[in-house]
Amino acid sequence: MSIFRLRIITPEKVFFEGAVQRVIVRTSEGDLGILAKHEKYVAALPSGPVKITMEDGTERIAALSGGAVKVSPDHTAILANAVEWAEDIDIDWAKRSEEDARRRKENSQNQEDLKYAELKLQRALNRLRVSSMKDL
Amino acid sequence: MAGANMKAIKRRIKSVESTMQITKAMELVASSKLRHAKERAEQAVPFFNLLYETMSEVASEAVGFHSAYTELREDGAALLIVMAGDRGLAGGFNVNVFRLADKRIRELEAQGREVILMTVGKKASEHYAKAENRILGTFDNVAEKMTTYTALHMAEHIVHLFDQGHLALVEVFFTNMVSPLSQEARQMQVIPVPNLERNPGVQSLTHYEPSPEAVFNSLIPQYLAGILYCTVVDTYASEQAARRMAMENATDNAQEMIDDLSLKYNRARQASITQELTEIVSGANAQE
Repeated sequence: MSIFRLRIITPEKVFFEGAVQRVIVRTSEGDLGILAKHEKYVAALPSGPVKITMEDGTERIAALSGGAVKVSPDHTAILANAVEWAEDIDIDWAKRSEEDARRRKENSQNQEDLKYAELKLQRALNRLRVSSMKDL
Repeated sequence: MAGANMKAIKRRIKSVESTMQITKAMELVASSKLRHAKERAEQAVPFFNLLYETMSEVASEAVGFHSAYTELREDGAALLIVMAGDRGLAGGFNVNVFRLADKRIRELEAQGREVILMTVGKKASEHYAKAENRILGTFDNVAEKMTTYTALHMAEHIVHLFDQGHLALVEVFFTNMVSPLSQEARQMQVIPVPNLERNPGVQSLTHYEPSPEAVFNSLIPQYLAGILYCTVVDTYASEQAARRMAMENATDNAQEMIDDLSLKYNRARQASITQELTEIVSGANAQE
């Protein structure tokens, strides 16, 4: 299977850079599988899972907290606010974060607090979902 | 007489020495913090470049592209985000950025625009606490442990206000670390998004989902968060660099003072010995 270059970048670091066979992202319109020579494509990504098929055929899943994907025929870049491999997710921390988000949501004074709490909750839930995920 | 003078000099040397120990320690702390901060500032660059590149492409390739974030509104306030340090003792670091921001505030107010402020760093919130300008938010003690979520939280807040039509202009005032020896206070326009290349009429081959505008607008909070993250991290690195330099100078000055005082002390000691000798000799002479 032909391969292409994938980069996953967060403001804090370059999370992943390498050759891959396939990557699946969850866009607002649904799951999108990207293979080599995909048409040029740009989409915003809400919090969700990312599945990568490496050059050697192994598969890895990561949790992505909001971002965007930019596809060119030979190169795909994913911009993420934060991203972790499924096996590296700190489940206790994610659970605490979920509780905190729910509390914030209940106590929110205005729409903006509510929106922030909602996004935080989605990130926490996404982490929890992805950590137990074997496949999409 | 000479004895009392010697004691006073000795005391001064002791006091300068202990000050020097403090400045030396602060210099070392600042240089180790600077190393980490510099790394962090450099790591943020690829993300931001790619984000900006993507946004430029969307704006330039999509036919009939139109977004509220690229055009200057007639009415609405100007939001200035001023970033300074959480502590002083960093030479002119805090003052320089305030000078730049204050000038801009006067300029905008002369144009009849309402100015609101957001401050990052304790020194900035202290500086503007007296000002009559409306403070939208203060973010103290966030710079050292700056995360993307803090930046995103600030960004969402700003986008929310913009979407409701309260804001026309967003500018960031920060300090750019040109090199560890030179830092420069800067002003950056964030909204309307500047310098996006436009070449209308070129049909794009890129597929945008759901639409170019939707992609562009959904990137705005990230773009804003990216800028805030980068500038906060850059400012923090500059603060450490400025403090390291200020403390290095202070340490050098203290060393100079100690050398000077030691010389004086030795002279006073010599003088007292000479005087004692003269007294003994003249005493012995008188006996004869």
